[in-house]
Formats: sequence, structure tokens, C-alpha cells
Amino acid sequence: MHDSQRKKLLIVLTKAPYGSSAIQEALDIVLAAGTFDQDVSLLITLDACYLLLPSQEPGLIQQKNSAKILNALPIYGIEKIFVNGKDATRRGLKSETISLPAHFMNQTEIADLYAQADTVFRF
Amino acid sequence: MSISVLVLGAPFENQACYTAYRYVQAALELGQSIHRVFFYQAGVHSASRLACPPRDEFDLYRAWQTLKTEHDLDLIVCIAAAARRGVIDPAEAKRHNKATFNLAEGFELSGLGQLIEALTLSDQLLTFGE
Repeated sequence: MHDSQRKKLLIVLTKAPYGSSAIQEALDIVLAAGTFDQDVSLLITLDACYLLLPSQEPGLIQQKNSAKILNALPIYGIEKIFVNGKDATRRGLKSETISLPAHFMNQTEIADLYAQADTVFRF
Repeated sequence: MSISVLVLGAPFENQACYTAYRYVQAALELGQSIHRVFFYQAGVHSASRLACPPRDEFDLYRAWQTLKTEHDLDLIVCIAAAARRGVIDPAEAKRHNKATFNLAEGFELSGLGQLIEALTLSDQLLTFGE
């Protein structure tokens, strides 16, 4: 793909993992965008923050572990993983104890992230 | 200007796919170029040829097919999202050893790469979700 076709893509997760297929199918888009060499940023917000809980065992409810896919994203060249700090903190999550190193963003940083994106997908 | 559309909602469950249809129809009437319509998540149900809406209701399934015939629209359905939800074409039916298929004429199954390509080649990509 030519450089001119490389877009800044922001994918925003909003839903709780395992409550629907939204997170799983959103992460599939993240992986596809990475494979096609797009400039991908992932922003984890609202109940999607629960994806960051360590020691998830979704196998107990016959679900695939979406957090494992999230943790593997850097291998696919997707390193811009951000968290809405306010949403995560409200849910009792701290940046030191989540399952992967992701920057907790404030509202100004989030606004900038949106402003810089060519396309935003919200799941 | 070239526009692509991502449809996430299922017909009759959600207004989104009807709004997406109205949007695409209006854009085409105004002479805009629709590069691709991509159906993902529950949006894949729009492509089932087995859906039978009551005769006195708007037939969104047929409406997409009519738009396709009139404007040579590219109607792509995510193959993985569709297979999970029981929307398959003859090739998928064979691959998964199913007795029949139900992908409606005018729609095509393909991968998420088609969505990524659409967003790189279009000036705008609009999502019609929930």
C-alpha cells in the first residue's frame, strides 16, 4: 500500500468484554488494520476498561480471552494503546495494576487523539 | 468525493441499517460516488435471502438489491462475521459442510481487508451503528 493510503485510524472500545461480540469483532478490525499497515490507535473507554483486568478466565464461560489479543497487539505493530483514565479510575483500575502497559489519558489528550484521526470506529 | 459506508445494525432490530440505506440512496441521487458498503457485526443479516418481512412492511433486503442493480454498488459482507451468524454463500456452505446457503444475490462475502481498503481509498467512511 502506498504511503498516501496510510490513514490514521482510531478505534474506540466502549463495551464490556464478553457481554457481546463487540470487543472481539473490534479487535479483529484492529488486527486487520495493523496487517494492512495503517496507523492504528486504540482507545479503551467506559466498560471496555474491564478488558484490562489481569487474571481473566473467560474460558469458564466458553469465551475466548480478548485480553490476550489485546496484550499481543504490539507483536502486530500496534503500540498506541490508550485508556480513558477517568473511566478506568471510576471502575477501580490503576495504571500500575492493569494487564498491559497503556497510558491513562486525560480528556484533553483524548480530544487531541480524536482530532488527529482520519477515521474513527466506535464499538 | 468518494464515500464508503459501514453498516453494523441488523434489520428490524436496529434503525441503523435502514438509515444507512436511506443515506446511500440519497448520496447516489445527488451524484455522489459510493465506493463500498461494508456489512459487519449484526449488519450481516441484511444479506440473508431467507428473511421474509411482512408484505405491508418495507423490504430492506430487496431495497439493497435494487440499489445494487441500479447503481452497481459494491455490497461486501464480512465473511467471518457472517459465517458466525449463519449467513453463508455456496462456497462457505461447501467448506463448512452445510446443506444450503443463504447469501442474497448482489452481496459478496469477503474479509476485513475490504473495509480497510475502503477507508484508505475513500474521502469519508460513515458508520451506521447503534
